[in-house]
Amino acid sequence: MRKRFKTLLLWTLCVVCFLLFYQLANPAPPPRQEYSAFLSDVAAGDAIAEVRIDSNKIRVRRWDGWEYSTLGVVDDEMTQTLSEQGVMIAWGPQPQPFRKLLTVGGPIVLVLALFVYFLKKAQGQTTNALSMRKTTARRIDATTGVSFADVGGCGDAKEHLCDLIDFLDHPDRWVGAGVRLPRGVLLEGPPGCGKTLLARAVAGESKANFYLISASEFVEMFVGVGAARVRDTFETASKNAPAVIFIDELDAVGRRRGSGIGAANDEREQTLNQLLVCMDGFEIRDRVVVIAATNRSDVLDPALLRPGRFDRRIRIEALSASQRREVLAIHTRRMQLGEDLDLGTVAAGTANFSGAELESLVNEAGLRAVRRMRAGGDSKAVLRSFDFTEALACGAEECRRFDCVDALLVESTTQLARPTGKARVRLTLAEGTLVEGELVWADATLLKLRGDGPNESMLVPKQQIRTIEALEGTEWTKDVSPDRLLAHTPELA
Amino acid sequence: MSETWLLDRLLIWIPLVLSLSIHEWAHAACANALGDDTAARQGRLTLNPLEHMDPVGSFLLPLLGIPFGWAKPVPIDFSRFRCGADTGIVLTAAAGPLSNLALALVATLAGALCVGLGTVTPKAGSAAWQLVHTTVLLNLLLACFNLLPIPPLDGSRVVDGLIPGGWRETWDAFARLSPLLLAAVLVVPVLAGGSLLAWPMAWASALLDAAAGVAGSAGSG
Repeated sequence: MRKRFKTLLLWTLCVVCFLLFYQLANPAPPPRQEYSAFLSDVAAGDAIAEVRIDSNKIRVRRWDGWEYSTLGVVDDEMTQTLSEQGVMIAWGPQPQPFRKLLTVGGPIVLVLALFVYFLKKAQGQTTNALSMRKTTARRIDATTGVSFADVGGCGDAKEHLCDLIDFLDHPDRWVGAGVRLPRGVLLEGPPGCGKTLLARAVAGESKANFYLISASEFVEMFVGVGAARVRDTFETASKNAPAVIFIDELDAVGRRRGSGIGAANDEREQTLNQLLVCMDGFEIRDRVVVIAATNRSDVLDPALLRPGRFDRRIRIEALSASQRREVLAIHTRRMQLGEDLDLGTVAAGTANFSGAELESLVNEAGLRAVRRMRAGGDSKAVLRSFDFTEALACGAEECRRFDCVDALLVESTTQLARPTGKARVRLTLAEGTLVEGELVWADATLLKLRGDGPNESMLVPKQQIRTIEALEGTEWTKDVSPDRLLAHTPELA
Repeated sequence: MSETWLLDRLLIWIPLVLSLSIHEWAHAACANALGDDTAARQGRLTLNPLEHMDPVGSFLLPLLGIPFGWAKPVPIDFSRFRCGADTGIVLTAAAGPLSNLALALVATLAGALCVGLGTVTPKAGSAAWQLVHTTVLLNLLLACFNLLPIPPLDGSRVVDGLIPGGWRETWDAFARLSPLLLAAVLVVPVLAGGSLLAWPMAWASALLDAAAGVAGSAGSG
């Protein structure tokens, strides 16, 4: 209703303005009379009160209130007569104060409005160049909902990080004992072991401000942007101290310096230099900690790793069975578990699985459970142990096997590599068959082998391969498919 | 430069903005009635001129005296029409110019009514008559101009919807020349010494005189 009213109001306003402007532009002239009427009035001697003369237009106002206009000329003699009669004589067109305002003020207002409009439009473009030098770090607040309880395993890392959080929240205890805040913590480990998850847990647990940035976000096309962004990130963090900066994928900028020639490396090295300076330079910033995560600590520049910069290097180990069980328990928290499901067995059967792989496994099992629920018409999806076995049997298992076969083929053929490039392999298939031949080609799912006889060639699906033996030069065999559920690899307690 | 240049432009600009609002509203209303509420959800189903004004086309150009302008185009999703995309395109596109014609007619009738009732005298000095005259003129102009079958004008969309399959390629080729054609249509009459407004002005005057005459005689008789 309000909108309709507003629209109606606007329309009325428009029409009113139109009429107003029209009056201003064309002031209504008084009725026209003949010149002779004017002359007779002049002759009457006391009829006219006021005369306004605008070139050849004469506006007359009489004492009795009547106004009219006429066309003609007023010569000097007539002017004399009129002034003798006491008539007010004015020359020039009728002054209209509002008109002046509009005709002069109007264009000025218009120009100003256009100016402001284009200024606003232009501003949107210039800030691009300036804003690029600002940090792209995102501030994560404590509502991430992740806590240390959500991270399974990683006992060491959790302990160290808890210390850190405590230092940030209650510095007096630590400073009183003469201990300084570790400036940097490096989390190392294979992909999927929980480094970023740990960082999110720190953000959730600590009251300090948490800034998240990926190392590759520092560097961009323009030279110097990386260093500027690093500076800006640290400045923002120290202004909002106590703060934690989490740099994910540190190896993107942290590689060894001087390893190559060319501008591409220069920019990265500049950024790295700036990072080194900010972490442990002339100005020591208190109450700002840097946590970094990387898969490849071997390529990191040694200057970055020295104590004083990344003081603590925490290796996140592969999970033991009990740790895996912990992780599985965390991931199945919100799921309904069947009575026959024992997470310990599942944990035992998933050797060398990282945290991310376990999460994916749990998700797959959950999907199967839901599928079953929908098919069976149950009300709740209940996880059972065969969900896990099925999930393990398919999916990751297959891919893993294929990956194994591929990796082995690459290794074996390069081991045997000669200029002619022949490679002979002996394959043991699922049913126990033995196949031997020269490797012709391999694609995603098949291998082609050429046998000894004429026109003998075989297509072997990789799925069925159990063992590959590389002949001609090496006695090297690899079993491609550990039976995961049955094997109990010896574990550390 | 006349002292009242801004006032003169404003006197044309106000009815222009109102007419454009009605034009765009008609597009949105027609589309909405046929099943596509994209424009309605964006707030274009309103007669409020502020929603339809485009800073360059509705503000800058008219006030600089350039006799050309436009409002913000109404977004339409042709696939949502109940009656099918083709019919829908034709109806929605035609709705715009038709609304302008309707407004011209309404203004004429209103003017005639006022003349008949004696409240307004159809001579040059009357503000209300000027409003009626300008409205009729502008709306006839908008209607005729938009019905030209040159993309991106509404007329071209009508053709789009009506064109049989065999002629589609020819039409597409023609459409590629459209910016040139549009420029030609705008520029050539000026160069030829005439004005783009000539025909609509003549029609407008004829229409209004006729209406006023009829009303006048009806009123006094």
